[in-house]
Amino acid sequence: MQASRARLFKELKEVQREKSADPDIKLICDDSNIFKWTALIKGPTETPYEGGVFQLAFAVPEQYPLQPPQVRFLTKIFHPNVHFKTGEICLDILKNAWSPAWTLQSVCRAIIALMAHPEADSPLNCDSGNLLRSGDNRGFNSMARMYTRLAAMPKKS
Amino acid sequence: MDSQEKQAAADCESNNDVLEIEDWANFRDDDIMRQHYDIRDQEAEKIPYVGDKEPLSALAAEYHSGSPILLEKIKVLSDQYGFIRRTRGDGNCFFRGFMFAYLEHLLVSQDRNEVDRIKGKVEHCKKTLQSLGYAEFTFEDFFSLFLEQLDSILQGGENSISETELVQRCRDQSVSDYVVMFFRFITSGEIKSRSEFFEPFILGLSSSTVDQFCKASVEPMGEESDHVHITALSDALGVPIRVVYLDRSSCDSGSVSVNHHDFIPASDQHTLDGGSVAINPKITLLYRPGHYDILYLK
Repeated sequence: MQASRARLFKELKEVQREKSADPDIKLICDDSNIFKWTALIKGPTETPYEGGVFQLAFAVPEQYPLQPPQVRFLTKIFHPNVHFKTGEICLDILKNAWSPAWTLQSVCRAIIALMAHPEADSPLNCDSGNLLRSGDNRGFNSMARMYTRLAAMPKKS
Repeated sequence: MDSQEKQAAADCESNNDVLEIEDWANFRDDDIMRQHYDIRDQEAEKIPYVGDKEPLSALAAEYHSGSPILLEKIKVLSDQYGFIRRTRGDGNCFFRGFMFAYLEHLLVSQDRNEVDRIKGKVEHCKKTLQSLGYAEFTFEDFFSLFLEQLDSILQGGENSISETELVQRCRDQSVSDYVVMFFRFITSGEIKSRSEFFEPFILGLSSSTVDQFCKASVEPMGEESDHVHITALSDALGVPIRVVYLDRSSCDSGSVSVNHHDFIPASDQHTLDGGSVAINPKITLLYRPGHYDILYLK
């Protein structure tokens, strides 16, 4: 518990120091609880998520950094490796390939990379995975684009 | 949280007993992870990270009605070795075995020169990781915990510990797992910094790149060790390790013999080539396919 808290404070300090280092990621720690974080990440360019801003919720376990943080999308996203209802993410480093060499910041980078390179063969969102696997890129792109517009972009008045 | 999700969360909590799970549609990755941890905890109750020192006859007892070759080999082993100390089979057994055997050796020998030497190596490993681009705050806690153990091993200081305390520490997850993770960092740094040397071995094992191998098979806790890990750790710290192999292989020529392999640090090999100093590893691990335990000379 003490070790995880100390590590998270270091990450917090690093995030504040390197604020401008990664303009695509904004990590925010809960004011009253160092084990709760949210992140805003920009959809990668040349993907249907471009122009969208996606919110992630982090729940950090007491065994951190020996155990991975739990991360899910709060913003609705149409992606083969993200559960459409719960926002759960299928990513190896959040499961058995986790190691303390990762940080909350680098997890965000890995999630952005996953957005740009979906793994259609291990889908949590089967509809999305099936579109890609059947080669219907146009169908996939338009669905993903529609949800980006609906959920991840500011409403135009 | 929408209501359906709340329901899902509630389901998981009420269905901790695996047999009662009715709604598999709501059984998510998180639940699988939790199940993994539960199984690990249950196993943990059966054997501590590091067991008690047992006579070698305890090993023979395991194969009571088993392979005669193994019983023969254990008999051969007992000429040289008197005791075994088991480690938990959680994928970290090589690192855990090395941790205990090395710290115990220092505690018994009180070899201050060796402690100073290893501290120098650790400092060097830190620089290696930094030059590989690791952020210091990701590994420094693991490093300082190991250095703390070294300091308390030497007697006469305020925080000196006894053999019993060493056993307790190595059984305490907050120390034991941190030291294992320290070794994983060291091993990964060594492999990456000498990638051209390790690449062919890694290709033979897993047909992945050096970076992928370190990311998937060295740095995560619970990933089992192979000769690549042992070579890298032995080289990085400059500590020779003997591994005795207990398996069913035999030769037809009659008498049974037990194979062993000495992992001699790369830096010492040059001395070997030039001079004639025989290197006697102070650390001996017993390998049975898939698992490492600690062996003690008579």
